[in-house]
Amino acid sequence: MQNSLKRMWASLGLLAAIAALLATTATAAHKAVNIVIWTDSDRAAAVTKVANDWAAKNGATVKVVTKNFGDIRDNLSTVNSADAPDVITAAHDWTGKLAANGLVQPIFLSAAVKKQFPSYTLNAFSYGTAVKKLYGVPVAVENIGLVVNTKLAKAPTTFSQLETEALAQKKKSHISFGIAVQQGANGDAYHMYPFFSGLGGYIFGTNKAGNLDPSDIGVANPTFLKNASLINKWNKEGLISSKVDDATAKNAFLKGQAAFWITGPWNADTLKKSGLKFKVMQMPAIAKPSVPFLGVQGFMVTKFANDHGVGSAATDLVTNFMANPSAQTQLAAANGRPPANTKAHSSDPVLAQFSAASKGGVPMPNIPQMDSVWGDLGQAWVKSTKGSGATPAATAFKTAARAIADKIG
Amino acid sequence: MSTATATASPEPFRPGLIARAVAAFSGATGLVLKMAILAVTNAIAVWAAVVLVDKTRWVALGVLVLATAAIDYVYLAPRSWTLPLKFLVPGTVFLLAFQIVPVIYTIQVALSNYSTGHILTKPEAIKQIKINSLEVPANGKQYEMSPARDKDGKLVLILRQDPGGQVYIGTKKGLTPLPQSDVKIDETGVPTAAKGYTLITGAELFTLDKQLQALQVPTKGDAAVQAQGVHQAVELQPTLRYDAAKNQFVRISDGAVFADNGKGSFASVSNSKDELEPGWKTLIGLANFKKLATNPLYRDPFLRVFVWTFVYATLTVFVSFAVGLFLAIALDKKGLRGQRLYRSVLVIPWAIPGFLGLLVWAGLLNDDFGVVNRLLGHVGIHVPWLFDANWARVSVILVSVWLTTPYFFLVSMGALQSIPAELTEAARVDGGGGWAIFRRVTLPLLLVAVAPLLIASFAFNFNNFGNIYLLTGGGPAVGNSPIAGATDILISYTYKIAFAAGKGQDYGLASAISILIFVIVGTISAISFSRTKALENMA
Repeated sequence: MQNSLKRMWASLGLLAAIAALLATTATAAHKAVNIVIWTDSDRAAAVTKVANDWAAKNGATVKVVTKNFGDIRDNLSTVNSADAPDVITAAHDWTGKLAANGLVQPIFLSAAVKKQFPSYTLNAFSYGTAVKKLYGVPVAVENIGLVVNTKLAKAPTTFSQLETEALAQKKKSHISFGIAVQQGANGDAYHMYPFFSGLGGYIFGTNKAGNLDPSDIGVANPTFLKNASLINKWNKEGLISSKVDDATAKNAFLKGQAAFWITGPWNADTLKKSGLKFKVMQMPAIAKPSVPFLGVQGFMVTKFANDHGVGSAATDLVTNFMANPSAQTQLAAANGRPPANTKAHSSDPVLAQFSAASKGGVPMPNIPQMDSVWGDLGQAWVKSTKGSGATPAATAFKTAARAIADKIG
Repeated sequence: MSTATATASPEPFRPGLIARAVAAFSGATGLVLKMAILAVTNAIAVWAAVVLVDKTRWVALGVLVLATAAIDYVYLAPRSWTLPLKFLVPGTVFLLAFQIVPVIYTIQVALSNYSTGHILTKPEAIKQIKINSLEVPANGKQYEMSPARDKDGKLVLILRQDPGGQVYIGTKKGLTPLPQSDVKIDETGVPTAAKGYTLITGAELFTLDKQLQALQVPTKGDAAVQAQGVHQAVELQPTLRYDAAKNQFVRISDGAVFADNGKGSFASVSNSKDELEPGWKTLIGLANFKKLATNPLYRDPFLRVFVWTFVYATLTVFVSFAVGLFLAIALDKKGLRGQRLYRSVLVIPWAIPGFLGLLVWAGLLNDDFGVVNRLLGHVGIHVPWLFDANWARVSVILVSVWLTTPYFFLVSMGALQSIPAELTEAARVDGGGGWAIFRRVTLPLLLVAVAPLLIASFAFNFNNFGNIYLLTGGGPAVGNSPIAGATDILISYTYKIAFAAGKGQDYGLASAISILIFVIVGTISAISFSRTKALENMA
C-alpha cells in the first residue's frame, strides 16, 4: 500500500513536469508588432506583397490569412480575440453589419487622399444611424454592364432600339429570351437592378442626415408602379425570362444565340478569350437612367487591432499605405477589377468599359436591413417574368415591398 | 490414472485475442501509454487553465482543476472502487463535450439576443459606442503628424495643419505654435525633424500604440486632437457622454438620454426604436419563443411548413425503402447474370457526393433548358419542375428518393441474407404464395432490423437542409408569404428567418426554433422506437 502510494506521487510529479513543458511551449508568445490580415485567395499574393513593403519600411511583421471571401465577414463575429485579424479585406455592403456589431473601427483620411477617390466609393464604406463614419479604404470597384455582341447587333442608343434588336435576334436563333440576364428560380435582384432603376425603382430612401432609411422602401414606389406595366410587356414578348440562370445566360451569349448579356467584370477574361467582337456599355435609359448597382471592395481596421495593441500600426497600413496609387493598382489588378483610386492605373480596356458603364450608379445599400431585401425583390422579378402564368408586375412588386417591410419590422 | 491424464493432456493454455490485448497493456507498455495519455490530458488542462486565468473565469477554472484532479486520481490511485470509473470516465467526458454542452449552449443562445448588433459584451459595446460617437467638430482641423519626445523624454506630437501648413507642438496641455523654420516637412507633408525634439521613427513608433491613442491634445471645449495611425491626427469631439453611475449615455447636443433597455441596447428614452449601435449580447428570457408564437410573420407559415416537412421526410423514407427493397429482392435471385454490375450501378447515387448530385439535378430540371424538359419536349410535355409549387415539391421528393434509395437497397440486401431460408421454405411448404410469404414472413423479419434505420433516416430527412437548399432554395414563393417558400422544411425555414430577415443574423431566434425542431423530432422518434419494440416482440 505504502509502496503504491509512493508510486502514485512519483507519477503525479512526472505528469506535472511533462504537462508544464507542453503548456509553456503552447503559450509562448512574442511581443513584436505583428499585423494579421484576412483576405481571399485571389488577393492573397498581392496583399502579402503590399503589406510586406509597408512592414519592411516600418520594422513590423505581417501575417496574411487566406479565407473564403464571405467567411471573412461571418468569422469576424465569432473569432476568438487572440486569433482575430487587425485588418480585413471587405466588401462595402458589409459595412453596416460589421459596424452595427461594433467589430470595425472608424478611420479618417486626409483631405489630399480623399480627393483621389470618387465620392461614391467613400460613401459606400460610410455608415451610421446618427453620425456617419468612414469604415474602410476603397480599393477596387465593380458593376455590371450591358455586353453587346457587335457582330450580331449595333450598340443601342435607346431602350426601344435594344428591345427591337434583342427580339430580332431571339427570333433568328429560336431561343426563348432576348436579353441574357440571369435570374433562376430564386431570383437575382442584383443583375435585374438596371431594369429596376430604369423603371424608377429604388431600395431605400435617405433621411435628413443623409443616411439610408430602412423605413423608406422604394421597391413599389408610385413612379415604379406607373412604369411596371412595361415588365408585363417584356414578359409577353419574351425580352427577359426568369427561367434564364447564370449558366444559360453565359452560354447563350458565348454561343452567339443572344446578342446582349448583362454581366460584370468577373467575366472579363471569359469575354476576352471568347473571340467574340463585343462592347460593354450602360444599358440605355428606360423611363429613368438604367444604372447598375455599384460594388466597392476595400480594407478595414477591426476593433481587435486595438485589443492587440496595434491599432495605430493597422490604421497606418490601411489609411496611408493601401490608399496610395501604387498599392491600389496592385491590389485591384489582383482580382481583375478597376482600382478605386483615380490616380491608380488599370491598362485593361475591357475593365475600363465596365468602369464607364457605372456612370450614375448606386452603391448597394450597406445597412444590415438589406438582407431582408434580396430574396423578395428577386422573387418579384421571377414571378412577373416567368412567361405564361406570370403575376402582373404591379402585384408582384407590391407584395415584395410589403414582405420586406414586415421582415425589417 | 496418471497415464490417462497424460494422454488427455490439454493443449497448452492459449488466451483469446482480447485477453492477450489486456495482458499486453497491463505491464510496462500499459503504464507508459497511460502516463502519456494522462500527461497530454494534464497538459491540455494546464493550457486551458492559463487561458481561463487570463480571462478571469474563476468558476470555470475551479471546475477544470477539480475535474483534472479527479481524472488523475481515478487513474493513479490504487483504490479498487475507482476501477469501474476507469472505464466510464472517457465516455462520460466525450458525452459531455459533444452532446450535453452543445445542447446547453443552444438553449443558452435561444434565451439570448445574440444577433446582428448584439455580438459584443457590454463593456466592449460601451467602448465602441464611445469611439463611434467621436465627430469632427465644425471647423475641425486635420493634421499631418509625427510623434516625438521632448527634452524630458515625454511623448508629444509634432503637427502640421492640413490644409494651411501651420506647425504646432501638441501635448496633454494643448497646442503650441512652433516657428515654421524649426520644422522640416517631407513631400507628403509629414514632419521629419523639429528643433528641440527627437522624432520617433522605425519599429519603436508602433510599440507606442497605447500611449499614442491615450494622448489627447485639448483644443476647444470637449474637442481634442487625436492621433489616427502614426502620421495623421484629427480634431474630434464626443457627441455622447457616458454616465457610468446611471448606466446611460447622454447626447451632448440636446441632452437626450439613452438608457439600458434591458434587451442589450442603449435606447432613447423618448423613442425606443432609436438605439445606439453596437448593442451587446445578453439574456432576454423567453422573448425569442414569444416572438415565434406571436409574430404573424413567423407564426403563420409555421404549420404549413411543419406539415410539408413531415410529408417530405415520410415520403422520402418510405418510397426510398420501398424501391430499395424491391430492387434488393429483384437482384437477390441466385445465379442472376451481371448481379454485381447491377448492384454497383445502383449504389452510384450514394457514392457521389450529395451536393454534386443535387446541383446536377437542379441543372437537369431547369425549366426551359434542362435535359429532362428537353426530352419531355419531344412528346409535347412541359413540366415546370422548379417554378410551380406542387411540381417543385414533387421534384424535391424525387431527387431525395434518388439519393436515399441506394442506402435502403444496401441495407435491405444485407437484411435479406440474414433471414434464414428455412423459414421461407417452411412457409412455402405450408402453401403460402409469394406475396403472402413476403408480407407475413420476410417483411416482419426484415423490419426488425430495418425499422430503427427507417426512424433514423426519417430524423435525418426531417432536417435535410442540403437537399432543399441546393435544389430549390426553398422556393418557389407561395402567395404572400415573405419567408417560407413551397418546399421549405423547418430547418431551411429556420435558416431563412435567422439569416435573411431583419438585420441579417439572428442566432437567438434560430436556436429557439432549433429547440422546437429537436422536441418534435425527439417525440416522433421516441414514439416510433416504442412501436419498434412491439415489432420485436411480435417477431
